[in-house]
Amino acid sequence: MASHATSGAARERGEAGSAAAAVAAPILLLEGVAKSYRTGQVTVPALRGVSLDVGLGEFVALTGPSGSGKSTLLHICGLIDAPDAGRYELLGRDTGRLSPRELAVVRREKLGFIFQGFNLVPVLTALENVEVPLLLAGAPRAERAARARAAIEAVGLRGLERRRPDELSGGQRQRVAIARALVGQPKLVLADEPTANLDGATAAQVIDLMRELGRTRDVTFIVATHDGRMAAHCDRVVALKDGTLA
Amino acid sequence: MKWLWFAVKNVRRNRRRSATTVLIAVVGTASLLVGGGFVEYIYALLRRIAATDSGHVILAHRDHFAMAEDVPMQHGLDDAPSAKARLEADPRVSAALPRLQFSGLISNGDKSAVFIGTGIDAAGEFRVRGSFLWKVTAGSALAARLPEDDLPEIMLGNDLARQLRAAPGSTLTLLATTTEGNLNAQDVRVKGIYTVGVPDLDRRAVLVHIATAQKLLLTDRVSTISVYLRRIEDSDAMRAAMGGLFPGRALQTWRDQAFYYRAVRALYNRIFGLLGAIIVVLVLFAVSNTIGMAVVERTREIGTFRALGAFPAQIMRNFVMEGLVVGVSGAAIGTVAAGLISFALGRSGVMMPPPPGYSVGYPLLISRSLELYLGAALVIVGASALAAWAVSHRAAARPIVEALAHV
Ligand SMILES: Nc1ncnc2c1ncn2[C@@H]1O[C@H](COP(=O)(O)OP(=O)(O)OP(=O)(O)O)[C@@H](O)[C@H]1O
Ligand SMILES: [Mg+2]
Repeated sequence: MASHATSGAARERGEAGSAAAAVAAPILLLEGVAKSYRTGQVTVPALRGVSLDVGLGEFVALTGPSGSGKSTLLHICGLIDAPDAGRYELLGRDTGRLSPRELAVVRREKLGFIFQGFNLVPVLTALENVEVPLLLAGAPRAERAARARAAIEAVGLRGLERRRPDELSGGQRQRVAIARALVGQPKLVLADEPTANLDGATAAQVIDLMRELGRTRDVTFIVATHDGRMAAHCDRVVALKDGTLA
Repeated sequence: MKWLWFAVKNVRRNRRRSATTVLIAVVGTASLLVGGGFVEYIYALLRRIAATDSGHVILAHRDHFAMAEDVPMQHGLDDAPSAKARLEADPRVSAALPRLQFSGLISNGDKSAVFIGTGIDAAGEFRVRGSFLWKVTAGSALAARLPEDDLPEIMLGNDLARQLRAAPGSTLTLLATTTEGNLNAQDVRVKGIYTVGVPDLDRRAVLVHIATAQKLLLTDRVSTISVYLRRIEDSDAMRAAMGGLFPGRALQTWRDQAFYYRAVRALYNRIFGLLGAIIVVLVLFAVSNTIGMAVVERTREIGTFRALGAFPAQIMRNFVMEGLVVGVSGAAIGTVAAGLISFALGRSGVMMPPPPGYSVGYPLLISRSLELYLGAALVIVGASALAAWAVSHRAAARPIVEALAHV
């Protein structure tokens, strides 16, 4: 873990990737990533040249004040938005070269998402919500059921499989969302303010759950938060300010 | 299968909205089917009337249909018996009936009137027509054969009989020009009075045995041979076959003579076609509206699915499936409803008023053909799927971040 943090730190200091070769290959490599939004005549820079690498299994907190570009960076890392400039390598592939369809396949096979508002499908049960990524990937029925059940158990919701989201507490809903993010055995999970809608104790539990699952399954997490206590739980804190790494 | 279940759940998410849309699809389907079934029934009825009137294929002298005659029967057929025998050898043919068209004056001694007569093979005519068109209102129909010990028999149209104060049993005289251009007369006895349903014809119509007409005109020719088939669908094939069998003769099918049928059909096609189009457009709008609202409400869900790796096509497919759930439910219920309505209307004994030019109405029946039911159901289901596609394809391809930020 420490070596990963070091490699990250090395990158932040602008030293070239030679140090990274010594550690496990980085799962994610950003070089000079920039992104700005145009609203009418005004162009708002959200990211201005962010370079970052993250190693396999790292649990990274992305902090910074509101408007510093956390969500924007997560969207780019999650392949749901494209940078205006710079380079993004995920699992050794230059994502700039991928077609929209290939990007969707990478998202489905390698990535997981956890949202602040949970984003569960209200008409589906907890179990069915967790099945969605497998269904999208066309997994056979028996495999879907088994894997979704296992994921539900892994987040401690055994017995609540048949509940719909509106029959679950906020913490339980976020656990369903975590199960959904992990059911496809992703390499990288992106969580945008996953605890912002939860009370302190529940938030801590959800963080601990993500940490533990990340560790046992060798999944990399990048969690955007402006909650200082949350950051304290993480291997590594990457701080953004005005679209650059602080 | 799982996605279908998902679509069903989503359709039930907003019950009232979906129910309204399904109801519109139900009413749309049922209207198409009842309206279409009514029109099909009318067409079938008019086809049958037309074909019963003229025969399915009509054989005549080369110039019969096109040119006026200088003297009666100039453009007649003279080999009627052999032609009849050859035609009736064909298994498709149920009868080949010679007819002789003639005209003249009919008199009761005090008063005369113009008539338009037809000499017929009575036995054959009554067999192919059944009781279908000649409604005998007094007396009885012509005997199968010409009576040997009495005057020749005649049937009169309703109004002509009234004009001549004739009743069954009365004696009248027919006057006509012979093939040689002389005037000839024949006493006849009224056997029956009938109506063909068209007032103009009832004022002039006279039916006699063909031998009576031939004797009056001094000819052994006939005007036409009407070929009656077992199935109306064979008409064109039979006409083609007869072209080879009787070279140098003129042929027409029932359709060539069915002016009323063709006019009604052209009019109804336009009226009901327009109504049908309006119904389909209504269903299109209803489904677009419902699915369109669902798309907007579920924009964040679309973004979430896309973030989880869904292709736009998968998103679209889900909404199209929801459109299909609505459309199929509506079409299924509408089909059953139309079946029941059609059945009930058929049972109710409602009579339609006589069409213009006819004095006899007909029962209101609604056809229930498989083609119509399949076609209408398909159109409604297709319209629903199309509407769902139209309102979801843009949202499905929208930038994911935008969709996720939607509130
Ligand atoms: N869709 C958009 N259109 C215009 N500007 C945007 C858009 N999304 C983000 N921005 C701007 O980009 C900058 C970075 O936004 P971003 O959402 O990444 O910040 P954040 O760190 O996630 O903030 P928060 O903590 O409030 O979620 C902000 O100045 C924001 O106003
Ligand atoms: Mg944010």
